[in-house]
Amino acid sequence: MISEMELKKIIEQVISEMGVSASKTELKSDADNCCTVEGSSKDVDEDIQDITTIDLKKQILVTQPENLQGLLKMKENTPARIGVWRAGPRYKTETMLRFRADHAAAQDAVFTDVSEEIIKKMNLFSVKTKCTDKDQYLTRPDLGRILDDEAVEILKTKCIKSPKVQIYVSDGLSSTAIEANAPEILPVIIQGLKSSGVTVGTPFFLKYGRVPAMDHVSEVLEAEVTCVLIGERPGLVTAESMSAYIAYKAKVGMPEAKRNVVSNIHKGGTPAVEAGAHIVDLIKLMLEKKASGLDLKA
Amino acid sequence: MRESILSVGIDIGTSTTQLVFSSILIENIASQFSVPRIEVKEKRVIYRSPIYFTPLIDQETIDGQKIREIIEAEYKKAGFSPEEVSTGAVIITGETARKENASLVLESLSGLAGEFVVATAGPDLESIIAGKGAGTERFSRDEECTAVNLDIGGGTTNIAVFKNGQVIDTACLDIGGRLIRLAKDNSGIEYIAPKVKRLTERMSIDIRKGERLTVGKAEIICKEMTKALEEVLGLRPKSELLEMMLTGKDLKRNYSIDYVTFSGGVADFIYNSTDNNVFRFNDIGILLGKAISQSDITRRLKMKKLNETIRATVVGAGAHTVEISGSTITYTKNCFPLKNIPILKVHNEPEDIESLAENIRSIIELYNLQSGGQQMALALKGVKNPKYSQLVAIAESIVRGIGEYLKTQEYLIVVVENDIAKALGQTLYQMLHREKDVVSIDGISVGNGDYIDIGKPLGDGRVVPVVIKTLIFNF
Repeated sequence: MISEMELKKIIEQVISEMGVSASKTELKSDADNCCTVEGSSKDVDEDIQDITTIDLKKQILVTQPENLQGLLKMKENTPARIGVWRAGPRYKTETMLRFRADHAAAQDAVFTDVSEEIIKKMNLFSVKTKCTDKDQYLTRPDLGRILDDEAVEILKTKCIKSPKVQIYVSDGLSSTAIEANAPEILPVIIQGLKSSGVTVGTPFFLKYGRVPAMDHVSEVLEAEVTCVLIGERPGLVTAESMSAYIAYKAKVGMPEAKRNVVSNIHKGGTPAVEAGAHIVDLIKLMLEKKASGLDLKA
Repeated sequence: MRESILSVGIDIGTSTTQLVFSSILIENIASQFSVPRIEVKEKRVIYRSPIYFTPLIDQETIDGQKIREIIEAEYKKAGFSPEEVSTGAVIITGETARKENASLVLESLSGLAGEFVVATAGPDLESIIAGKGAGTERFSRDEECTAVNLDIGGGTTNIAVFKNGQVIDTACLDIGGRLIRLAKDNSGIEYIAPKVKRLTERMSIDIRKGERLTVGKAEIICKEMTKALEEVLGLRPKSELLEMMLTGKDLKRNYSIDYVTFSGGVADFIYNSTDNNVFRFNDIGILLGKAISQSDITRRLKMKKLNETIRATVVGAGAHTVEISGSTITYTKNCFPLKNIPILKVHNEPEDIESLAENIRSIIELYNLQSGGQQMALALKGVKNPKYSQLVAIAESIVRGIGEYLKTQEYLIVVVENDIAKALGQTLYQMLHREKDVVSIDGISVGNGDYIDIGKPLGDGRVVPVVIKTLIFNF
């Protein structure tokens, strides 16, 4: 699997093999071809710009656009890669590289682990599901829904039993999303609930977790409401998107319709702290109505 | 979620009084699976009153009783009761706003015009409302151009310049169709506005109350008024004439104008000028329209005729004054409507949280000296996608900055631009040990010196309607 860093190295290598002078002219002519709107790119790092730092919404690859403002306005309204000048089987090199770089970032989000340091910073301890590694996690969704025996033991000894609300963090399909958002959202939710007089259980981190693992967690800890903050399957727009799945008295095997989800938590979607405040209200509503999912609507 | 709210607009102008009802449709446009996002989907004018002459007792006094009767009758005709109206604006515009009993008239209407209806005046805001009502704002956004709207009414000309849908400049001049009024069948001049008196004296033209006004003289006066408009638009070098006719600040003229649009009662006679029976309204409006239609304004600028002319201001007041807050907000008590809350804007770079408390402190001290500590709203830009630590720092700065002045406030009201109000409001409420009610809204951009009205929550209580009243317009 190629990580973003590795990809960068490969690109550097390829360009250096083309000869320094060639690469310079190449880069230069490329720069001539595209007008980049001010503020859209950062400093050139050792002759090579980190293309993932370019804001796609502000990057114009069309040479001499008829209506620059109009094109920018269209691009502002979509994360899609429009206005890339050449479509079909032959994109511009930059478009192709950026696509691969974003794809690599998405893959990294899936295949890397949430750093221990960040888990520690959030004051969480770590447990895992029945999966033994990433490959198994990806190929055996069923195992990602159950805590392993050790985890059950640890939760039973370390966590407050029968809390009103149990919150935990899980990697899901994007570790990057957890690293970017969980440290910001967790304190908002916990503080918000505590100040409303709601007891919050002991938060922890669950590795190799899929959403329905929350049902098992709920059964083990006998929580009234269970909320998992979990990384969403990454895409090419962002690899940092996180969701919160929340359910009232979740049970293993319960229908999906009993879950609430707040998705799209990332810097380009709902800011983490603001989503956290929204989740506080949602959890309070669940406690009041003693329901979640579709039952909450009815 | 779809919800439609009823908004009323009442415009009491120098010459005419009008009313419109419009329906504003709000809808949650986010998916089921995301944090809600409620936006205005549609604004539609559903009822237009006839155009009444503004009833006056004498030149200096508006007949409040008669206005009340007109409005009451119009409510009946439209089939709405004041309780059904959730927002809107009553505007006393132009010269009429300077009448002595203007505020008294507003008071007499306040019960009639629904619970959350703002009463407002001020030339800058009038210009903006007219420009929005005329459709110039929208036109400039759709066409990506700079367009100026001249709302030429009975007493004043309100100018607003829009660039890509944003207001970039405003001005107001004492130029209007009813600054000279005639008795029936031009049997004699009934009224000459003081500014026009000065204008004619400067031109050595002699007009007097009671005497007949000749078309020739009227045309010369209208031409002179038009010159002032040419000057303000930069089509002619600025002279003392413009200085005299401006009611406040001048336009900046540091941009180029692509289009000009006209609204107000005189507009129809610019778009369709006529020589026929020019004194039929017993004023100089038709001739003023003709003078403008033959001036450099229409010759050198591209003229665009939009939907609303004489009704621009009332449509603007009815449909374009209200905004919707962001969809994630905090209010710990349903204390709405809150009316006429002065805005204290903290000018802080979003990154610079350290000096935030001090800045808040200094503006609050100044404010308290001036106002004796009445309810205010603190406005700040906030941080986009903040870290939790930043959020806490902002909240701490607010609490520290306000300090003991919090006692003078019934609620802590915070208005932020970036999407952080719900988290900020919750954090503030915790910091204040849930002892002071907090109203924290976002998605609203305000300036120092503005006033804000916050209406009753809509959309399952997720958003509040907001009207920002800009009295002093700073760019």
